[in-house]
Amino acid sequence: MAGPVAGPVAGPVAGHVAGPGTSGSTPWSASWQPLAGAALLERLRVTGRPRPAADPVLSSDLRSFLESGLCEVLVEAAGSGLVVTQGRLTRALTCRAHRMDDQSAEHEFTIPLATSALIDVLFRQLVTTGSIDDPMADALDGLSLDAHRAPLVDWMHGLAQAERRELRSEVERQADGLRQRWPALDPSWLPRTQTPLRAVLAGGQIDLSVYVDLVIGRPAADVASVAFVDVRSGARRPGHRDDRHLGALVEALRAPAPPFAVATYYTKTGELDVDPVDSDLLVAAARRCLAGIRAMDSLGRGEEPEGTGSESCTMCAMGLSGEPTPATASIGAISNVAEAILHVAEARVVAPSTQTYAQGQAA
Amino acid sequence: MSGRTDTINELVRTPPTSFVDSLARARVRDRLVDGVAASVGDLPSGALVEVTLASIRRARSHPEALGQSEEPFAWKPVFVRRSLGLAAVRSCAEGRFALPSAAVGPVADQAVEEWERTGQRTFHWEPWFAGLGVGGRAVVLAEAAAWATSLWAAFDWTTLNSQVRIGGMDDLWTCPAPRTVRLKGRSEVRTRLDMVVDGRRIAGSDGGPSALVSVSGGVPSEGWREDLAYLALVAGLRAPDRPVPARVVGLWPDAAEERTVEIDEAALDGAVDRVVATVAMTAAAARSTSDDRPGCTSDSGTLVGSAAA
Repeated sequence: MAGPVAGPVAGPVAGHVAGPGTSGSTPWSASWQPLAGAALLERLRVTGRPRPAADPVLSSDLRSFLESGLCEVLVEAAGSGLVVTQGRLTRALTCRAHRMDDQSAEHEFTIPLATSALIDVLFRQLVTTGSIDDPMADALDGLSLDAHRAPLVDWMHGLAQAERRELRSEVERQADGLRQRWPALDPSWLPRTQTPLRAVLAGGQIDLSVYVDLVIGRPAADVASVAFVDVRSGARRPGHRDDRHLGALVEALRAPAPPFAVATYYTKTGELDVDPVDSDLLVAAARRCLAGIRAMDSLGRGEEPEGTGSESCTMCAMGLSGEPTPATASIGAISNVAEAILHVAEARVVAPSTQTYAQGQAA
Repeated sequence: MSGRTDTINELVRTPPTSFVDSLARARVRDRLVDGVAASVGDLPSGALVEVTLASIRRARSHPEALGQSEEPFAWKPVFVRRSLGLAAVRSCAEGRFALPSAAVGPVADQAVEEWERTGQRTFHWEPWFAGLGVGGRAVVLAEAAAWATSLWAAFDWTTLNSQVRIGGMDDLWTCPAPRTVRLKGRSEVRTRLDMVVDGRRIAGSDGGPSALVSVSGGVPSEGWREDLAYLALVAGLRAPDRPVPARVVGLWPDAAEERTVEIDEAALDGAVDRVVATVAMTAAAARSTSDDRPGCTSDSGTLVGSAAA
């Protein structure tokens, strides 16, 4: 394809370490500076791995794995499609104690939540128009067009002066970071904001539905040519990695090729986590997705799901207190048929996860 | 270009495999008129039933929603994205801009300037758009750019060239029934299909067989075949002097899916069945609404069933 995203893998970016596996612009020393401009884009483009080729067999294996592993759920859900989103999956896999906390806080508006909504609007504006004027005014203006956000907008308008000042200050600080660091995207990268991705399983009984804040690259049939970026205004959390991996899985199921990279950009700090996509990542995402759908199904029937103990709970992974229920089964404990399909898929892994950056360049 | 765009390009150019002759077209029309007339006769005189692709889908998937009163119309970014997105794609196909994301802003600005200068609206939303602040405009442009980019990336436009018409007027046809039943069809792209003459494939000509392209959100629903055929049905009814579109290609960018229906009499019959069912359900919902809430329907041209396509 034309355009920089699908072009050949370029050389390393001066001053930045790009290694294999999950990598990002994580602050590891006092001298750390967030990536900006061309370097940030290079970090997205250059994952250190060859871009995966379209693999219809792997895609088919992943689909079979999910569908065969869900056969009991599908019988229960017959006639009524189950919509699976990033949030629902994460919630279902949260341990009981943290799920209860989460439910009680579900409908509360907070400054961080408002910041997140406003920054989403500003990021979209920056990508689309290349500028942000008055961050708070622009963001409120944009958010007000979304009727679903009306209660949040009302809440923001009703904030006390001090809280409103706190919100404005944080939004302006993050918007300033975006303006300074986030580069203009060439139209040839085909940037699309807030892109919905859908993949249906089992004839529509399961509907995997995710939104990606930014998709870049022209979809191609032969090789991975698009990259996904999620934008977060808060602190880094383990669940963000799971979210971006689910996006990769959905793309692998619905399109000829998966994305070559999935990333999360943190507007608060300028950190950028980038995961090169390979079959290991997709297989792991499929396992988690299957466990999550099963948990959703159990919760829907008023039962406590099996296998949603501390090891699947992102809150526990963060070391937050809670009283996780004992895990009676792990995420990997899935039906024999599904496991067999996955083993076949794993055996077909093309891109070794230990590929070094230099090997990636040579390829 | 990628294999997928090659595939879609081929779908909208490959010579047709079916043809609806004038006798078949007349039979289809008669079936439709008879079926519709049977279910609207007892509606208040002056009542109007409007059928769109959206109302057909709603009748199948959420029939309970047919009787619910709709929110008063207000512009939203999602209502603008199609018309602005199509204009952006058209401007790119004409070579005025390289890519949709570069086109949406200037196209919207130009429409507003034109409206401010002449009072004429190209898209209808110009006054609303002009009244938005910077952030609101950016949301509208972002929606349109994303929508247009998906459509743009689906085709190799360089090879379609003059064979394609982007956007254009909706197809409208009013059924000669005891009450007014209006069918509305909307496709995003129309192409002239190639023809085979003396064993050679040549570019289609105006007035020859055509294909319609329909872009939808979400995933293909159970009745996608009839949904797509509906667009050919309305186009064929609206212009009886032109061939019925020979093919309808559906694109679902969210799901990266494309589906195709070759249009023959059976395909049109399937669409007729859906229209008749939709009108019957809409009329029934209107009657029950009228019973519950007198005044909801009247004898002065009240729209009793409609949905934006």
